[in-house]
This record gives sequence, C-alpha cells and structure tokens, in this order.
Amino acid sequence: MKKLLLLTLILASTAFAQVAKPIEMPYIDYPMVKGDHDEVAQQYCLICHSWGYVLNQGKKSRPYWTGTVQKMVNEFKAPIAKEDQQTIINYLVKHYGYEVTSGH
Amino acid sequence: MSNINRRNFLGAGLILGASTLLGKETSQKIITSTSDFTPPVIAFPEKKPLKVISDRPPLLESPRDIFTQAITPNDQFFVRWHMPDIPTHIDLNEFRLEVKGSVEKPLSLSVDDLKSKFEPVEITSVLQCGGNSRRYFAGVGPATHGVQWGHGAMGCAVWRGVRLKDILHMAGVKGSARWVGVNGLEKPAMEETPKFFREMEIDEALSGELMVAYAMNGEDLPYLNGFPLRLVIPGHFSDSWVKMLSEITVMDEYRKSFFMDVAYTVPDNDCECVVSGSDFEYKRKPIAVMKVKSVIGYPTPNTVIKKGSRVKVTGVAFDQGKGIKEVMISTDGGKSWSATVLQKDYGKYAYRPWVYQWEPKAKGEYTIMVRAINRIGNIQPQVDEIGWNAGGYQYNAVDSVNVKIV
Repeated sequence: MKKLLLLTLILASTAFAQVAKPIEMPYIDYPMVKGDHDEVAQQYCLICHSWGYVLNQGKKSRPYWTGTVQKMVNEFKAPIAKEDQQTIINYLVKHYGYEVTSGH
Repeated sequence: MSNINRRNFLGAGLILGASTLLGKETSQKIITSTSDFTPPVIAFPEKKPLKVISDRPPLLESPRDIFTQAITPNDQFFVRWHMPDIPTHIDLNEFRLEVKGSVEKPLSLSVDDLKSKFEPVEITSVLQCGGNSRRYFAGVGPATHGVQWGHGAMGCAVWRGVRLKDILHMAGVKGSARWVGVNGLEKPAMEETPKFFREMEIDEALSGELMVAYAMNGEDLPYLNGFPLRLVIPGHFSDSWVKMLSEITVMDEYRKSFFMDVAYTVPDNDCECVVSGSDFEYKRKPIAVMKVKSVIGYPTPNTVIKKGSRVKVTGVAFDQGKGIKEVMISTDGGKSWSATVLQKDYGKYAYRPWVYQWEPKAKGEYTIMVRAINRIGNIQPQVDEIGWNAGGYQYNAVDSVNVKIV
C-alpha cells in the first residue's frame, strides 16, 4: 500500500512539466582588474565564458596561461589574432598568475 | 566589465573546465593558492543559493554540509555545463529525442512517448563531476588545471526513466554499429567550436544499466540539471551524463572529438597519473568508472564545538558500484582509526551514509579524517599517495576536516 502511494505521488509530481515560461539566469559581474589592456581580454574571453572561469582557477604560470589561450584558439576556434593572444596572456600572467623563473 | 554588455554575446559560447595538456608546473617556490577568490553565493532558477563558480556557462557548487544527506535535494544539486548557450525554455509539445544513424527505424520521441511506451525504471546513483575535489590536489602538488572545485561537484539522486537499451532496441541497432554518440541542446557561441558530443561503445550502451532519465527525486529534472532528459550512467563520472539530451546517434565508426580525445582524459598507465615529466607525453584514456571515496558532511571545517559534546560525525561514501565495505574514521589526524556505523543501503550506486558518535574529552584543535574501503578492497589513498594528473581528475584521497574543541 505504501509503495502504491509512493508510486502515485511520483506519477503525480512528474505530471507537471515546467513549460510555462522561460527561466531567467542571474548575471554575475565577476571583477576584472583594470589596465594592461583588460578590454582585449573582455572582448574575446567573455564571448564564451564568464570571468569566473579565470578567477576560480587560482594563480597560474605563464606557460599555463599561454597553453590555455592556445587551447581557446586551436581547439575552441576563438577568433583571436596573434597579437591579441599575446596581450591576453600578458594580462593574465600579470594579474592572475606569475612568471616562472626556471624551467619552461 | 562595466562597459561590456554581455547580452550581446549571448549565443556565443566556449568551454573550459576540460583540461589542457600542459606539463606539470615545476616551480617550487610559488604556492599556487586556490583560494584567492571567493565565489558569490546566489540562487539560480529552481536552486537554493549555491557557490557560483561561473554564471555562463553555469557552474554551481553544493556546500559541504550537503553530505549529511544520503539523497541530495534537487534545489541544492550541483550544476556544470560546458557551453554558454543553453535554451531557457523547452516546450514539451515540440521537444523530441531523436534516435538515428545505424538503426533500422529512426525514432523521434516525445517525453510523453518515453513515459508511456517504455517500462519505467528507477535507480539511485551518485553523479560526480570528473573534476570534483580538484582543489585538494594542490595539497600534494601544483594546483591542477581548471576551476578549483571543492567536494561539492557531486550529488546522489533517485533517477527515473527508461533504459537506453530499450530505446535502442525499439530503433533496431544494425549489425554494423559499434559506437553510440550522445548530445544535448547546449550550444557553443561560435559555429566552429566543437560541440559537446560524447561517445560510448555499443556494448556499454546496451548494458541495461544506462538510463534516459526524465525524473530526479520524484520531480521533473531541474532545468539546470538537464530538463527534460538526461543520460544516467551509474558508477561513471558525469562527463557522459548528457543534459537536455536530444540526440542519440548510433555509429559504425568512432568520431574523433575534443571532448572525447583531449578533455576528461588521464595518462593511460596503472596509476592514471603523471609519474615524471609532463602530462603531455602520455598516451591518454578517458576517465570512466569512479573511485572509492568518502567525505565528511558534519562537522564542516573550522566548526567550534564545546568540550564533552556528543558530536554526530556524518558523511557519505560511494564507489563504482561494488559497494562500500567499511568507512574508517580518525579524530587524531590519522594516528588511530575506528569504524563508523554504516547507515541505510540505498543501492550499490548510491551514497552509503555513515555515522560516528564522538565525544571530544579535551580542548584543542582536532583533525577528523575518513577513509573508505569497498567490497573488492579498493581503499582511498592517503593524501600524499594520490597520483597527480594535470586535469585534476578523479581526486579521491582521504578527506579531512579541522575542528576546534573549546
């Protein structure tokens, strides 16, 4: 009996489909450090993902950010000119990373 | 940020979270902190406030105290998408799941078709992101790639739906079929960006355990967890549990893709880790079945507890589906261990809750640790034993929480 009741509840609750109206997604204004051509990073990086992706990775090395920008261009086909890629890498390393003095 | 209206970019989308294949970073001097930025805690549609790692694509992390519950409530279940363009409205009158490719009879199924034309099945299963707990790799080596999830990129739910096998049988898989590809309605920002397309071998797809789910914990799937349909692969990391599942393509040949061959892969060796040099140099394999793991739900880190209190230490444990045999606990930083009491068994793919009654007798700082072992003898590695991989995948080392007794 209990099982039947549970089943009925399950069926009843799944009967209401969420078709009424569109969901509205909050917009988060993740902070970006100003300067060093942050506008170039804004222009390209934010086409596809929020700045939260950068902030929530912690500080990363120059080789890391270089590889990440290359991945965006080569794998995900981000339309970033060579010169702008370098600008973005420099911006990321300066404000969200560090230089590696030895190795790499 | 202020001078950019990101609405202009809607429809645009890239991905991340998937690791790149850079080498293990070698710098010894710089500690790569993973806690520089504290994500805001905000309520998204159908969700209670959760840690917002990203709003686009949405990445929401559950709080640690969620692990005091064996079944994760829908409104606190974590969220992780790959593409920024997610439909904000789905009309079930129009929505169809297409089944196509190497089949005798292509299908176009509505959610009602799934509910009325197939035998319903139910399974309780953990859903865990491959990068869950990634931030803890920073305790053993360089911070790994990707956003630094805590433990909150996992949950456990009762999934209800239809066997993938039954759908494929209705379509009639051709003898030449070797692979099944799945994808959903999320879209990248640019046409050229690879789609989030996942593949599995035909035998796995026909195994009978995979499910196309239309309900989660007795309700429609929350929008952000994949309404109206998602694939459920019990025991496996979530990378192929495609959300807003809209296409099943039966294929004779494997299709090379970024999301199969590069993202969500680890070195193809016994430890699935970097032994030396760069992660680059290794042959890759996709992450698949989950590894035995337990986490503490209460107390949470830095809890202050009165001496002599009766503390009900609680948490959950799970594995790839072999079943949890025992969860050991230490309250002295790993010097001595005791058994916890396993609680109700919700099935072999579910969380196994555990409880330990603890009465701290002296004031001071304590480190509580838990370690699970499953029925085939897989045991969680100690923190300094876990193999490092650049993507930060499959973290399952012993969990620990520091508390203060006053």
